[in-house]
Amino acid sequence: MDATDDPRARPRHESRPVGTPIVVVDDVRFAYQRRGEAPVIALDGVSLAVRAGERLAIIGHNGSGKSTLARLLNGLLLPTSGQVLVAGLDTRDAAARRRIRQTVGMVFQNPDNQLVAATVEEDVAFGPENLGLDAPEIRRRVDAALALLDLTDLAARPPHQLSGGQKQRVAIAGILAIEPGVLVLDEATALLDPFGRAEIRDAVRRVHAEGTAVVAATHHMEEAVEAERVLVMSEGRIVLDGSPREVFAEADRLRELRLDLPPMARLAERLSARRPGFAPVLLNVAEAADEVTKESEVRSQESGGIAGGASLGGASPAPTDLVGAGLAPPSPASPLARAQGEGGRGGEGSPIIEVRDLWYTYQVGTPFEAGALRGANFELHAGEVAAVVGHSGSGKSTLIQHLNGLIRPQRGLVRVNGLDLADRSLDLAAIRRQVGLVFQFPEQQLFEPTVGDDVAFGPRRIGCDRQEVRRRVREALDTVGLGFEAYKDRYTFGLSGGETRRVAIAGVLALEPRVLVLDEPTAGLDPRGRDDLLATLLDLRAQRGTAVAIVSHDMEQVAAIAERVWVMSHGELVLSGTPREVFGQADTIKQLGLGLPQVTELMHALRSRGFAAPTDVVTLEEAEEAVWTLWHS
Amino acid sequence: MDSLALLKDVTLGQYLPGTSVVHRLDPRTKLVAFVLLVWAVSSVRTYLGSIALIASALGLIVVAGLPMGYVLRGLRPIIPWLALFLVFQILFGGNYDLSGSPVLFHWEAPSPLPIRFTVTETSLRSAGVSIGRLICLYVMTSVLTLATTTTGLTHGLELLLAPLRPLKVPGHELAMTLAIALRFVPTLAEELERIIKAQVSRGADFDRPGRLAFLRRTRQLVPIVVPLFVSTFRRAEELVLAMEARGYVGGAGRGRLAPLQTTRLDWLALPVIIAYALGVAFIPLPF
Repeated sequence: MDATDDPRARPRHESRPVGTPIVVVDDVRFAYQRRGEAPVIALDGVSLAVRAGERLAIIGHNGSGKSTLARLLNGLLLPTSGQVLVAGLDTRDAAARRRIRQTVGMVFQNPDNQLVAATVEEDVAFGPENLGLDAPEIRRRVDAALALLDLTDLAARPPHQLSGGQKQRVAIAGILAIEPGVLVLDEATALLDPFGRAEIRDAVRRVHAEGTAVVAATHHMEEAVEAERVLVMSEGRIVLDGSPREVFAEADRLRELRLDLPPMARLAERLSARRPGFAPVLLNVAEAADEVTKESEVRSQESGGIAGGASLGGASPAPTDLVGAGLAPPSPASPLARAQGEGGRGGEGSPIIEVRDLWYTYQVGTPFEAGALRGANFELHAGEVAAVVGHSGSGKSTLIQHLNGLIRPQRGLVRVNGLDLADRSLDLAAIRRQVGLVFQFPEQQLFEPTVGDDVAFGPRRIGCDRQEVRRRVREALDTVGLGFEAYKDRYTFGLSGGETRRVAIAGVLALEPRVLVLDEPTAGLDPRGRDDLLATLLDLRAQRGTAVAIVSHDMEQVAAIAERVWVMSHGELVLSGTPREVFGQADTIKQLGLGLPQVTELMHALRSRGFAAPTDVVTLEEAEEAVWTLWHS
Repeated sequence: MDSLALLKDVTLGQYLPGTSVVHRLDPRTKLVAFVLLVWAVSSVRTYLGSIALIASALGLIVVAGLPMGYVLRGLRPIIPWLALFLVFQILFGGNYDLSGSPVLFHWEAPSPLPIRFTVTETSLRSAGVSIGRLICLYVMTSVLTLATTTTGLTHGLELLLAPLRPLKVPGHELAMTLAIALRFVPTLAEELERIIKAQVSRGADFDRPGRLAFLRRTRQLVPIVVPLFVSTFRRAEELVLAMEARGYVGGAGRGRLAPLQTTRLDWLALPVIIAYALGVAFIPLPF
């Protein structure tokens, strides 16, 4: 069969010049109907057109309706009222469904749950195979999609050997092989670490450059910044619609909706409040560096006689929010920092947890043998908040599983409270009561129907009596900010993502550990859930003196809450110190493929333009002061 | 606690890439050969036959270029069961032996205890032969799955079953289900491992024996099984959506990236295998 004769093999975008609407959503309402319950309205009168070649971002917190909207675009959900037309076809028309799915392709959140086949290339072929194309045409499409997404080298790999970012790239390739006019990403980066997200951002850029329209529902503002048009959703309606610059200028409105501003937009907000006339919105580091430079030139022309005129009091003009602002690590002058010494080293006494020259190899003696730790070191002192960072596969997860004896050291030392975990006679249950370990996505481990029972699991297992169980459950729930009385009898399945995660953390806290270790505690949460959870962790330290170690990929977050940072690579410790010290080593950090907080990056960008910008800037306030000082020197 | 590293013992669904003759055969040939060999193995009745079979099964590992130690390691978890099976077969098998072969050992508990041990020459042989068969089956299955991609296997199965569609044998559906099941084995094994570790981290204790250990074990499974089921159902639901979004509507009218092709190698191998299977089944080896 000649491919061009077959409507199913139509060359991409043949009949779609840029700008023609491909999907038209007309006054759509959508309600989820659960049996025996009142319908939950998810969309309440949404109209929208997605045009050929455009790049659109939909932001909004969980429950705002963005995911529902995304799924209406290719007929996976059908409107309760109103109409969705895809290439002129009503999504309610069952006969047109195949054509609709071919026009609007969709990538979902969980990379593990959308790959069907045993290898990358077979998975990418799944869509074209479903279209009934012949082998050479399938091969052509698969090869083209793999090449576009830089997956050619991984073609023969099984999906479970890929990183999250790679899996999502495979999922995108699988959709592109169908050659759709629109690619919809339904929170496709929510479960990925920043490297994975960067991979996907890059991939999406290429896909868009090839002419495919992209619609991305996302929590991540750095993705929204790259779109041509941003829709902000709240309570099932589109409340803001415009270019990223227009939308992020509405800082107060976004804050009201409890959405994030990108770090540079926050900086611009602060600077323009102190220096009227400065760019009110900045979207990325390059732009910020440009504007700061320009402003500085203006200053020097004005011959700088008014320097220092503005008030430098603590009253920052913008309301602070958590990451990058409100919870800055203690400044050298604060009592906490003085007690611990600048460096968060604790100094006094021996650490609660001590790891020395730790080695570990998985699947010893099989063809799948893999070294995970090669002489790792780590320390945690009482009452300290530490962060472990590193690329995927750097050994972070393996390291933290040693801390409560889930993995016994093969070689090297792990000491908790002075007890050597290599000692076979040691009571590991006691260690686990002292070191609470919270895995990634801990909400997936809940199993009791009600919140109270689930949190009580641990205390019951370790033999507490009824009174004691009740006390511990009450305290644990209160600590994570879920009132005991209000939540103990609620069903775990009815809670929001942020709430279920807190319940899971409370389940570990109920063991009353002295140390809490969390793997990516905020992964997959929306900005609101993330900020609340970080505040909870800092409270926990303040109230109970619990030492906290988090594994995190989010450098903004690390800079905001950690006193000490441990950087791992290939199973080894490569750097450790305060966030200031660590992020000061920009070159090393970048060589490791890790990011810097954007404010730190801005300082490095300014230095490369010849400014004497400090390199130890990790928070928004510090960046603001640094820029201010530059302007006035 | 390394026993928590479950993946280590999962050899099913793992594929070891290679270029051996076995790797290069059309999966259909391998499946047909597998069925023939299973039939041949089950018709062997003598010690010598068993030894010959085990030897050729081990030879097959070598021909397929697979690491001997790794393949045999997969036997480890079933060794206790094999041993138990062997003991029972040996001790009790003779009780039901009506062939009149010589009795080698007999012992009876004083009545009224209904316990009798009888070992006859035939029952001893059948115990040995059974063990030989199980080992052979294990090795053959391992070679098949380790040297064939799962896609190859399922596609081959689909094509072999296709002629039976008029008899309502759902070949495509079976193959697709099998493919997805195999694809998710590592994912679910990882998930299981994570859930166990998470529950251990919050006080569950899976390795302390004690009184009523059995009852406790059963109860201990709840915190593992419930989350695993919840997540598996969620995965299934999302997978359905993802497949639908990629235009899957069943087997009819689907294309194939790499249609299976038989080569001269297959036409050479098939007669050899058939001859071997017939030989094993019909040439009576003494003893």
